[in-house]
Amino acid sequence: MLFLQLLVDGLQLGALYALMAVGFAMIFGSTRVFHYAHGTTYVIVGYLFYYLAERLHLPWWAAGAAAAAAGVVFGVLLDRWMYRPIQRDEGSFFTVFVASFGIAVVAENVIIILFGASFVSISTPLTRVSDIGGGIVVSYLGMFSVLAAALLFVFLNWFLDRTDVGVALRALSENPDLVRGFGLNPRKLSQYAFAIGSLLVAPAALVATCVTGLTPTAGHRVVLISIAASIIGGIGSLRGAGLGGLILGLAESLAVWKLSTGWSEAVAFIILFAFILARPSGLFGNRARV
Amino acid sequence: MVGYILNLLILISISGILAGSLNFIIGYAGIYSLAHAAFFGIAAYTGALIALHVSTSLLIAIPVAMAICAILSLVISLPSLRVRGEYFVVASLGLQMIAFTVFSEWTSVTGGLGGITGVPVATIFGFSLRSLGSMLAVSLACLALVTFAIFALVRTSFGRNLRAIRDNEVAAAAFGKNVALTKTLAVAISSALCAVAGVLYAFHVSFVNPESFTIDASVLVMAMIIIGGTGTVFGPILGALIIHLLPAGLTYLTFLPSRDLASLQQIIYGAAMVLLMIYRPSGLIGRANVKDTWSK
Amino acid sequence: MSLRGRMTAALFAAAVAAFATPAWAQNYHIGALLPNSGPMTQFGQLFGNGADLAADHINADKMLSKPFVIDHEDSQGQPQPAVTGMNKLVRVNEEPVVLTAQSGVSKAVAPIGEREHVVTINGGGVAPDLAKLGPYFFNVIPLVNYEVRALVPYLAKEKKFKRIAIVYVEDPLGEACLNELKENAPKNGMELVGAFSVPSTSRQFAPIAAKVREVKPDVVFVAYYGQTMVALVKQLRDAGVDAPFTSYSGFDDPDLKALPAAEGSIYSSQKMDWASTDPITARFVADFKKKYGKDPTFYNANYYNAVWVTAQAMASLEKKKQPITGENIRNELLAIKTFAAVGGKMEFQPDGTVSMPMQINELIKGGSKVLN
Repeated sequence: MLFLQLLVDGLQLGALYALMAVGFAMIFGSTRVFHYAHGTTYVIVGYLFYYLAERLHLPWWAAGAAAAAAGVVFGVLLDRWMYRPIQRDEGSFFTVFVASFGIAVVAENVIIILFGASFVSISTPLTRVSDIGGGIVVSYLGMFSVLAAALLFVFLNWFLDRTDVGVALRALSENPDLVRGFGLNPRKLSQYAFAIGSLLVAPAALVATCVTGLTPTAGHRVVLISIAASIIGGIGSLRGAGLGGLILGLAESLAVWKLSTGWSEAVAFIILFAFILARPSGLFGNRARV
Repeated sequence: MVGYILNLLILISISGILAGSLNFIIGYAGIYSLAHAAFFGIAAYTGALIALHVSTSLLIAIPVAMAICAILSLVISLPSLRVRGEYFVVASLGLQMIAFTVFSEWTSVTGGLGGITGVPVATIFGFSLRSLGSMLAVSLACLALVTFAIFALVRTSFGRNLRAIRDNEVAAAAFGKNVALTKTLAVAISSALCAVAGVLYAFHVSFVNPESFTIDASVLVMAMIIIGGTGTVFGPILGALIIHLLPAGLTYLTFLPSRDLASLQQIIYGAAMVLLMIYRPSGLIGRANVKDTWSK
Repeated sequence: MSLRGRMTAALFAAAVAAFATPAWAQNYHIGALLPNSGPMTQFGQLFGNGADLAADHINADKMLSKPFVIDHEDSQGQPQPAVTGMNKLVRVNEEPVVLTAQSGVSKAVAPIGEREHVVTINGGGVAPDLAKLGPYFFNVIPLVNYEVRALVPYLAKEKKFKRIAIVYVEDPLGEACLNELKENAPKNGMELVGAFSVPSTSRQFAPIAAKVREVKPDVVFVAYYGQTMVALVKQLRDAGVDAPFTSYSGFDDPDLKALPAAEGSIYSSQKMDWASTDPITARFVADFKKKYGKDPTFYNANYYNAVWVTAQAMASLEKKKQPITGENIRNELLAIKTFAAVGGKMEFQPDGTVSMPMQINELIKGGSKVLN
C-alpha cells in the first residue's frame, strides 16, 4: 500500500527529473559544454511563468509558452555570447564550467533582488490529488508530467533518428570535423542543441512551479540531478539520461519506504557514487570514451 | 576598530590556507574538486571535538585533523581518480552533498544543524590564544607555512610529475609516471593542508555547524583562486583578500540598498568569474601562457 | 580625475563619513544583526521594522538625552557572515546592545557578546537551546517548549484530537517540538502516531506525505520555519494529507497566511491582543499601520519590545548617572525585571528568558484569528 503510493510518487518525480536531465544531456552530449547554467534556464522559465500567470494574470498556456521561449533565448544567447568566445581560445572543460557557474550565480541573485528570496508557487486545483482506487492518490499535474516525459522521449527518438539536424547533432559529439566535411556548420548545430536542450527543461520548470514551488536557488539541484542522471545513464546517451532521471526519482521516493525520511536526499548521490565506482560509463555509455 | 580588522585578517588567513590548498590540486595537478568545503568541515568538526574532549592545543588538533582529512580523501579519491576530468568534478560535487547530509544527520557526533557550540580558546605550547592578536599571529604563521609547503612541493620531482600530468595525462603515463598514485597523493596533501584552515576556523569562531560547509563555501574558495590566479603562489591569497574585502567595502557605499548588498556581492563574484573566464582565464596574476595551462 | 581616482576618493570619503563624523558620539547606538539577505530575508524585514519603529517612538518621546540610532548589519542568516557583522558592530561601532535572530546565528555571536560584555537580544528564534547562551544573552520571545505545552492541551480538550503525527526538521527546534510532543501528548490523552524527520535541504515532500497518510492522524504537527515550511505545508496538503495542521508560532508567517492550503491550521503564540486598549500596544499597532501600511505580527512586536526595554534600561542608567555600557544595561534589565511592553507585561527570568502568557490561533483566509 505505502509501497505502491511511493512507487507512483517516484514515477512522477522521476518523470520530472528525466525532463530536466535530457536537456542537459542533449547539450553536453553534442557540444561538450558543461552547461551548469542549465539550472538557471529552469529557474528563469519558472519565475517568468509565475510572473506572467500569477501577477499579470495571463492565461496559463500563453504564460507557459512565453516562459519556455525565454528559456530558449537564454540558452542560445549564452552559447553565442559566452561559451563561444571561451571556446575560441580553446578553453578547457573547467574554464567553461566556471563561466557557466558564474552566470548561474548572477542570475540567481538578480532574481532574488527582483522577486525576493522566498518561495513562489502558482496555486491551481490541478496539484490536488484524487483517489485513483485502492487509496492510491495522483494529481492531474503528476499524470501530466509522466505523459509529457513519455511523449517527449518518443519525439526525441524520432528527431534524432529521422531528421537531418538530429543525425548531425549526434554526429557532432563524435566528430565535429566529419560534420564540417558534410557541409554542415557546427556552430549552427550547437545553437540547435542549446535551443532544444533549453526547451526540454521548460515542462519540468512549469510543472514544478505549480507542484513544489520555486526558489531562486532551485537551479543548483536541477543541475545536480541532471548531471547525476547523465552519468548514471552514460554521458552522451539521451535515453540513458532519461532513464537515469527516472531511477533517481524512484530511488528518492522509495528510500522512504524502509529508511528514515531524513536520508531520501542522500540516496540519489549514493547511487551516483555507486555508478562512478562500479560503472563509470553508465548504463548506455561508451566505455572507450570515459 | 582594531578588533574588527584583526578578525577580518584572521578570516583572510584561514581563507588563504583554504584557497592555497585547493590551488595545489586545481592549479598544479589539474584536478578540479568541488568538495573542498567538505574537508574544511571535516577538519573543523574534528578540531571542535578534540578541543572539547581531548585538548585545546593546536599542536594536537591540527595534526590529527590533517591525518583524518588525508585518510578520508584517499577513501574517496582512489576510486574517483579512475575517471577523468568532468567525472571527478561531478564525483566531488556528489561528495560535497553527501558530506553536508552527514554533517546535519549524524547528530550524535556533529550536533546536527544545531552544531557544536562553546569550542574553548585554542592554546599553543600552553599559551592561550585568547586575544585576537595572538590568534592572528598563529593564523598568519600557518598561512606562511602552508604557502611555503606548497611552494616547496611544486619544485620537487613530485611537483614536476603533477604538472606533467596536468598538461598531458596520456604522455605522462607513457613516460612511466604512476598517474593514479601521484594524483591520489596530491589530493591527500591538499586535504591535509585544508585541515589546518578547518581547525583554525573552529577555534576562531568557536562554533561549528553544517551551514558553513555547503557547496556555496566550496564555490567561494574556487572563486578566490580563479580571481587571484590558479597555479600561482600568491594568487590564492590575493583572491582571499579580494573576496573578504569586497563585502566590507560594499557596506561603505551607503547609496546601495542594504537589503540587496549580499545579492550584489554575489552578482559581482559571478560576473567576475564569467568575465575572467572569457578574457583572462589565468586570473589576475596568472601566468601569461594561458592556453598551455588550460587546454587538455 | 581618473575612474580609479574617483572610486578611491569616494571610498575614502565614505570611510571617513562612517568613522569620523562627530555625530557618532552624540547619539546612542545599538546594533541589529538580522538576516537582510538569504532565505530568511523576509523575517529580517519583519524584525527590523519592529526595531525601527521603537527607535522612532523613543526619539519622539525624548526618552533619552541623546538621539537613539539603530545600526543594521546583515547576518545573511549564516554563522560566518554573522560573526563578521557582530565583530563590526561590537568592535568598530562599539555598540552596547545587539539584536539578533535565529539559533545558528545567535549561537555563533553569543560568545563574542559575552567576551566583550555586549547584551545580545533575540526576538525571533525559539529553539530551546537559546536559553543557555550565557549571562549576556536575552530572549524577548518565549521559547518553543512553552508553546507546545500550551498547545497540546488545547488540541486534546477543545478539538478532541486523538492521533497526532509530527513532521519535523532535524535541528534543535524540530527536535524540541518532537520531545515536547512525546512527553505532553500522552499526558493529555493523545497518541503520537508518527514522527517524520525532514532534512533541511529537502524540497520534495510527496514521499513524506505518503508516510503521513499511512498513519492516519487527526492532526499533523509541522515543526519547521521559513519558506521551506510553506512549501512543506502546500505539498503535504496537495498530496492528500487532509488532517488539519498545527504548529508553534512559526506558523505566524506572511507567506503561509496567503496559502489556501494552510487555512484552518491551529498554532500557538505568545499572547498578543492587537485590539487592546493598553496605551503601549495601541500606539504600536496604530503607528505600525501608519508607517508600513500593514498589520503588525508578533515578530514586529518582539523586536519593538527588545529595543523598547533596552531604551528603558538606558534611561534608568541615565537617571542614576551611570555610564551606558553593555554590562550596566545587562544588570539594569535584570534589576528592573518587569517591563510594560507591547502585548502586556514582560518579565525576565534570571536566565535571560521571558515568561509570557500564551494564546492559540487559527489561520483563516488571508490572516489569523485568536481562538481562546
